Amino acid sequence: MTKITRTLEYIWIVLIILTIFAYFLGYFKYISTPLVAVLLITTFIKGQLVIDYFMDLKKVRLKYRLIPILWLIIVLSLIATAYYLPLS
Amino acid sequence: MSKNISLKEAYPPGDLAIWVIIYVEFITFALLFLGYAFSRRLDVELFNASQSVVSQTSGFVNTIILITSSYFVVKAVHSIKNMTKETQQESNKEASKWLLFAIVCGLAFITIKITEFSNIFGMGINLSTNRYFMFYIMLTVFHFLHVVLGSGILFLIYKKTKINGYLPNDSKGIETGASYWHMVDLLWIVLFPLVYIIR
Repeated sequence: MTKITRTLEYIWIVLIILTIFAYFLGYFKYISTPLVAVLLITTFIKGQLVIDYFMDLKKVRLKYRLIPILWLIIVLSLIATAYYLPLS
Repeated sequence: MSKNISLKEAYPPGDLAIWVIIYVEFITFALLFLGYAFSRRLDVELFNASQSVVSQTSGFVNTIILITSSYFVVKAVHSIKNMTKETQQESNKEASKWLLFAIVCGLAFITIKITEFSNIFGMGINLSTNRYFMFYIMLTVFHFLHVVLGSGILFLIYKKTKINGYLPNDSKGIETGASYWHMVDLLWIVLFPLVYIIR
């Protein structure tokens, strides 16, 4: 098994574990306000792994890699803002 | 004197045109995601109550399916990219195997989603039921259409691998389709916790 194949398998396992984590938080109704941030951070990690290793943008010039990463950061930050801003 | 040589590739994998499409999709879905998140602030109780109607389990299973299918697509791309003249037939065969797994995953996603939609619509829920379901239907149906299109693209690539159509140094076509499929996966990775989990 080559190094890259092994890395991809690890990435897949991490993605699955983080998905199971998110599901259990929802299934057992553990979602509280602080955990929304945890869930969004794990979503960022998953997205980042897909961008770098599945889309293979880690090997590409930074500007092309930055576009989806910035998209992910902005979207998740604004979602966090919507959940954490006090309701009027 | 040492030269600072960049080993990074100049362009992302696949045709550059697919990346323009991907960026447009990012913007479209970002607006829908943020529309959902900020609309929820107007009636948190309604969103939480409505969210309990949708099946978290089917959302979870579909996430696992899409992530796994993306992994299979990466394996197919690697088979084609690492091809030599001597291994052309073997590499195409290997890629077709991984693509077939990915297509089966795509079809499983579609089947689960159709079941979920028929349950939701069977309850009489539609776009005008409330604001949560308006976003739920718009986001998930729009994404569903992307999965259908992506599965079709994967099938076309699969057909090409079946006739040993990919040659050494000819991975642009499969990379283009793969990039689209990974985008579909990435969008679902954000959609799943937002619409199904976070309360």
